[in-house]
Amino acid sequence: MSSSTQTTAALHNSADASRSGTEIRLSVEQVSYAYSANPSQAPLFTLEANSFQARPGEIVAILGPNACGKSTLLKLVAGVLEPLSGRVLLNGFVTHSLTPRIRAQRIAMVQQESPLLFPSRAWEFVLQGRHAYGRALRFETDDDVAIAKNALAQVGAEHLSDRWMDQISGGEKQRVILARALAQQPLLLLLDEPTLHLDIGAQVDLLDALRRLAAANRYTVVVVTHELNLAAEYADQVVLLQRGKSLRVGPPASVYQRELLEQVFQTPLSVELGSSGRPRVSVLPGT
Amino acid sequence: MRVLTLGRLLLRCGILAVVLFAVMIAALKFGAVRVSLYGLGLDLIHVLLRQTSALSSDYGMIVIDIRLPRILLAVVVGASLSVAGTSFQALLRNPLADPYVLGVSSGAALGAVLALIAEPHLALSPALATLFTPLGAFLGAGAAITAVYFLGRREGQIDSDMLLLVGIITASFLSAIIMFLMTTLAGRDLRGMVFWLMGDLSSSLQPGLRWVLGVGFVLATAAIYTTASDLNLLLSGEKEAMHLGVDVPRVRLVVYIAASLLTGLAVSVSGAIGYVGLLVPHVMRFIFGSDHRVLIPTAAFGGAIAVVIADTLARTVVAPSELPVGAMTALFGAPLFLYLLRRRLA
Amino acid sequence: MQQVLSTRILRVLACAVASILFSPALVPAQTTPTAPATIPAAPPTYREITDETGRTVRIPQPVHRVVSLAPSLTETIYALGLQDRLVGDTDYCDFPPEAQQKPKVGGAINPSLEAIAALRPDLVLVTSLNRMETVRALEDLGIPSYGTDPHTVGEIISSTERLAEVLGAPEAGSTLAKDLERRLAETQQRIAPLPPRRVLFIVWRDPLISIGKDTFIADALQRAGAISVIDSSQSWPQLSLEEVVHQQPEFLVFAESHSEAAPPDLDALTSLPGWRLLDAVRNRRYALISDAVNRPAPRIVSAIEDLAKQLHPEAFVEKQPGDKEKTDQPNAAPPGSTSSAIPSTRFAAEAPAVIEESACAC
Repeated sequence: MSSSTQTTAALHNSADASRSGTEIRLSVEQVSYAYSANPSQAPLFTLEANSFQARPGEIVAILGPNACGKSTLLKLVAGVLEPLSGRVLLNGFVTHSLTPRIRAQRIAMVQQESPLLFPSRAWEFVLQGRHAYGRALRFETDDDVAIAKNALAQVGAEHLSDRWMDQISGGEKQRVILARALAQQPLLLLLDEPTLHLDIGAQVDLLDALRRLAAANRYTVVVVTHELNLAAEYADQVVLLQRGKSLRVGPPASVYQRELLEQVFQTPLSVELGSSGRPRVSVLPGT
Repeated sequence: MRVLTLGRLLLRCGILAVVLFAVMIAALKFGAVRVSLYGLGLDLIHVLLRQTSALSSDYGMIVIDIRLPRILLAVVVGASLSVAGTSFQALLRNPLADPYVLGVSSGAALGAVLALIAEPHLALSPALATLFTPLGAFLGAGAAITAVYFLGRREGQIDSDMLLLVGIITASFLSAIIMFLMTTLAGRDLRGMVFWLMGDLSSSLQPGLRWVLGVGFVLATAAIYTTASDLNLLLSGEKEAMHLGVDVPRVRLVVYIAASLLTGLAVSVSGAIGYVGLLVPHVMRFIFGSDHRVLIPTAAFGGAIAVVIADTLARTVVAPSELPVGAMTALFGAPLFLYLLRRRLA
Repeated sequence: MQQVLSTRILRVLACAVASILFSPALVPAQTTPTAPATIPAAPPTYREITDETGRTVRIPQPVHRVVSLAPSLTETIYALGLQDRLVGDTDYCDFPPEAQQKPKVGGAINPSLEAIAALRPDLVLVTSLNRMETVRALEDLGIPSYGTDPHTVGEIISSTERLAEVLGAPEAGSTLAKDLERRLAETQQRIAPLPPRRVLFIVWRDPLISIGKDTFIADALQRAGAISVIDSSQSWPQLSLEEVVHQQPEFLVFAESHSEAAPPDLDALTSLPGWRLLDAVRNRRYALISDAVNRPAPRIVSAIEDLAKQLHPEAFVEKQPGDKEKTDQPNAAPPGSTSSAIPSTRFAAEAPAVIEESACAC
């Protein structure tokens, strides 16, 4: 018990420090992983020696085609999976060795949602984010309620507070889910393909919100996506992944090289400079 | 935003407790033998003051010795089954789950049948003979629980979908064995088993067994209640729950064992009373919402109320004959289930 | 919205609670047994007896009030003339007709403990029809149960005698037992020279259920000069028609079910596919006896006599002084055992009777 309270305290202190500072918060060091359906068989795929770092307020995009290991890498960052070699450090603590409770206080994961079995109201949903801060058998405190309200406000969804989760649109649901993640008051915000089911307007809304929140609350955001242009527009760093290996890590300008992208995505592309100063990728339809 | 507070929880539980109390009084009053409410009240006061010699009438003994234990048994069994049903619905993320879906009741029934077959061949002391069938049932339930647990694991942890499938298959397999055994049993035992399979609250329990039942109920329900907020999150999805800080393997294990224990105890003493574990959670969810911190205690009260009412009907509708309790719960439960099902779809 | 709904429902519940508490007037009147006004004042003495299931039972003496939990026991009590002591019986105790007027305590498997307890019996009588749970529950209430479990006709008689003794009326028991034995002996005398008929006793037609060899019904068949073609250790074996066809019983024996208004439609059997293959069906060799054969009570002797008459009519021709000696001679020529017999008079009108030449020369 005492070691976990030490960890909480240490993380707490480091959280306060890191929100204000500009030191490296997230350090992914030579992380590799292998997965095989059967222990005796050869691994079905592997992740090899991936590394990148991120600071508070930064948005990192993990980019790549389907089945390149993006989601697995995200899970390794989240500490849900244990790397075969290498490690993931959050403010100096190995993410995998944190208990679920403490991990939830520092890392918030936004996944593609499963259908809700018994629908709840939006505010109940967001309050779930406070679960990691309470003991068993507790009732939500006024603080929890205030934080939940604030989270909804930050994503612009206060008006959805009393609505049932199964009666709001996809985009609205996405915002409430993000609010729940914010209610966890995390250091690290992880999102796995958050724009998949959204129309372009909703996509832009979401990413604008992420950028705003990352800046205001000093989150470190890691987004898994295969949307080339959105990643280019919003990410401060891009990790380009192909079959488990990160081919290049760096700001979009350095990663978005035509030959590199064509090699990874296996299709002719053209890369230009967009009006915002970021690279813009266009497809070249085949004949 | 009306958050759940302790006050709100206690209010809801308090109201249901009053309803349960009233239902219990009514159950004490109604039966094959007429009892006046006034005489009943006096008798209860005498019992509370331990003046058993001052009981007002012959009927006093009937009420205290026959009806009261039976009603208390109905309360504990009803509460156990409802809490178990609520837990399994959350654990398996399936609204159709009931306490028996994982094979616990089939295991208990098989244990009881085997005990019935074996008993005449063993020279048992009278005390042990009364315990033999419930003990056999409980051991059978335990065996089923263990088997399903080990078969339903994947990578060393309980996997909800696997568990459900394994449980259903185990239940059918055990039922087939039971049917085979029942065709080879002598006529008398067969009739007794039918009553047990439908749920029967008329067997008197030895004081030792009553203690086991009561203490088991309290411990198991308390264990489940400590995971109440975890269960709320589990319903959002297991991965989501894990990311929100729930120790999913631990919660699954605790809930599985505790809910199976509740079911095993209930079934061992009263047979497989149907529909209570399936429907009471849904009805309580409909009234009070799906927050398990409220749902678990209200389901317990609701189940107790339902089974006491069903049992009272079972022993008064064709008095002095008695119907099996399970027949009553099925009679009212099935239409109610259809109604709720259609409401959900509408 | 949900809070409004829950408050509304809670309000409804509150009204329900109030109405439950204040509605004694709405209680439907139950037909309930009533307790006696007085209880014997003297402290009872006890006797320890081992009943027929091997249990040791402490029975208060003398036994004034008895509850019977099986129709056979009710019949036996009436046959012994002890019906004044019977204070309650089951819904199914219908013989003799007066038994239906006794206070009821429910079914044999599912009697109401309250109803039994309210009658304050000294002793409850049970058989293998009843559940051990019922017996144990009564024990917990301080009410002893005495169980009978006869497996042969002889055991039925001795069980009756023992029961009379337990109830404190041994003379009634021995008188009845002697009479029953006498009647059985008479029947035995008449049919002894004749070979037993091979029969199938049909408990239920579809599915086809007969009786096993260890039952008292099988023994009753033997006493009536019949032998069941089914040799099974189960009490109620379920059979396939093939096996019965293979055995080709000489007679099919049916017990009249008093719950059905009409006698079983035996004519229909001749048109059913499998049944047609039975000689007994083709030749209408049926025996129909009263359902007394199903109850281990004194009345079974009447059923035995009736069955013997139907199976071996030649042994029961009208008594004339001369005939009695004839049938007493062990060397009287037996009637042709291969030919069919006259069907029961009950449905002689329906079935075309196949009259065989009686080998009896009378």
